[in-house]
Amino acid sequence: MISERLKKTILETLEIDNFDIQPESTADQVPGWDSLSHINVILAIEKEFNVRFKGVEVMKLKNIGDLQNLVDLKLSN
Amino acid sequence: MFSNIDVSKFVDLFRFDPTDPLLFNSSLFLFLFFVLLAVYLLISKNKIARIYLLTGFSLFFYYKASGFYCVLLIGSAIVNYFAGKYFFRFDGLLKKKLVLYVAIFFNIGVLVYFKYTNFFIQIVNDVKLSQLNALDIFLPVGISFYTFKALSYILDIYLERIEPENNFMNFLLYISFFPNILAGPIDRASGFLPQLKEELFISDNYIAKGILLIISGLFKKAIIADYISTNFVDRIFDMPTRFTGIENLLGVYGYSLQIYCDFSGYSDMATGIALLLGFKLMDNFDSPYQASSVAEFWRRWHISLSSWLLDYVFKPLQMKFRNLSIFGNALALFITFVLCGLWHGASWLFLLWGALHGMFMAVSLFTKKPKNNIYGKLGLKNSKALKYFQTFITFNLVAFAWIFFRASSFANAMEVINQIVNFFHAPVIMQFVPGYPLVSFLLAVGFILHFLPKSVGLKFEEYLTKTPLIGKAVLLALVIWIVIQIRSAEIQPFIYFQF
Repeated sequence: MISERLKKTILETLEIDNFDIQPESTADQVPGWDSLSHINVILAIEKEFNVRFKGVEVMKLKNIGDLQNLVDLKLSN
Repeated sequence: MFSNIDVSKFVDLFRFDPTDPLLFNSSLFLFLFFVLLAVYLLISKNKIARIYLLTGFSLFFYYKASGFYCVLLIGSAIVNYFAGKYFFRFDGLLKKKLVLYVAIFFNIGVLVYFKYTNFFIQIVNDVKLSQLNALDIFLPVGISFYTFKALSYILDIYLERIEPENNFMNFLLYISFFPNILAGPIDRASGFLPQLKEELFISDNYIAKGILLIISGLFKKAIIADYISTNFVDRIFDMPTRFTGIENLLGVYGYSLQIYCDFSGYSDMATGIALLLGFKLMDNFDSPYQASSVAEFWRRWHISLSSWLLDYVFKPLQMKFRNLSIFGNALALFITFVLCGLWHGASWLFLLWGALHGMFMAVSLFTKKPKNNIYGKLGLKNSKALKYFQTFITFNLVAFAWIFFRASSFANAMEVINQIVNFFHAPVIMQFVPGYPLVSFLLAVGFILHFLPKSVGLKFEEYLTKTPLIGKAVLLALVIWIVIQIRSAEIQPFIYFQF
């Protein structure tokens, strides 16, 4: 399950009103989430949740479910 | 009758000759390919025999192009295969990282040695640090391509996108696959290896697509690119000051068409041949000059390389520089494109070409918001006129950068630019068309075909898919015959071979 907080952060950064973000959703399915805006989304999440990702961790993400898991992992540490 | 046949000459055909690699548009390749296809279809049910046959043919094909360096290719495959296996076998993160770095170092090291040693020596000499002699290093054909394939395999294992391949022959085939060994597309292991495990099924659509791609590739390469290069573009760049500015400009536009037709023509033939063998390779070109921004151009030009650089160079750099916000993005873009230029060749001109594209991308990044505001205010936002204008500008930016890609030296590039800026003489166009009728015709045809919508090609594909096999074969034979009749006496090697 993708938390409302994560969904909100993503949608606000990409400036889109609504999009049904599911765990299996991938970045290229979300309008406006290209390789240039990708980094803005990552930064916004780091800021919102007060976490810091490593480059490799982000590159290993296959979908938004993975991203949620990574955020949860960082928060539990 | 048979006593007249010189057997040694026949054997010579199979021997390595550096001046005569097995190019797709050569009659020897044509003959050998049809023999291969016949045997291939006969043994198609046996997966193992299939792999061995293709690998054997691929290694022979590479041997014809690069002789002894065939050993390096096999050696590279061995090193990368075992690196993949050990990476998986080792538990600790530290051990995994060690394998990763050794593998990266090996691949990059081999590439740097063969490609860039003399460039570094030249730099050392130029800054007068020393006076070294250039080394006699032969550049094995396709090394830039297969090293990048191997690196993508290792990195994808590290990034947990794929599992290592357990069968060495499968991996060797992936690295050495003859359709794309010499000039790409740089296929990813994740796309290619699974196809080896499937039953062979060459659908009617694959055959139609394959034949159309081979026809389109032959036409682009052997007719358009070869002709306008030897009969026009080469003459302009050899002596720019002999021609007016408008002729130089047409020469630059001509080169833009030439390099597209040459490279995408080869990619088309490679992809088409692979389809006839039942394999789907990556798309490498998508009408790049239709792009309305430089960013879009790079999503349509040499797609296998640009997506490789995006995934393995740009994204990590972007993460590293993320705290610099838009400047971080711009820096990551610039470095990526300089490396792109460097990949193409060991010279300052290629670096400059890459840097120009990096600059175009960075500038468009900074001007995106202000431009959108202005277009919004002028009510132009989704207008066709704006799209045409942007496409025109993008094409000219790309063409300008090609000057440095093609020129023999920086001075040569400046000569071309100087003629265009200071000696344009537009009216000369009236004499140009009757003076170079076939060149003008091919330029026009080339660009018109480039801007045709996709649906046209798809219609042909649909029609040919439904045509019976004999009809397909006749069409292919006819086109090959036409091309043999038309093309110039000497086979022009593909431009991208030097990479």
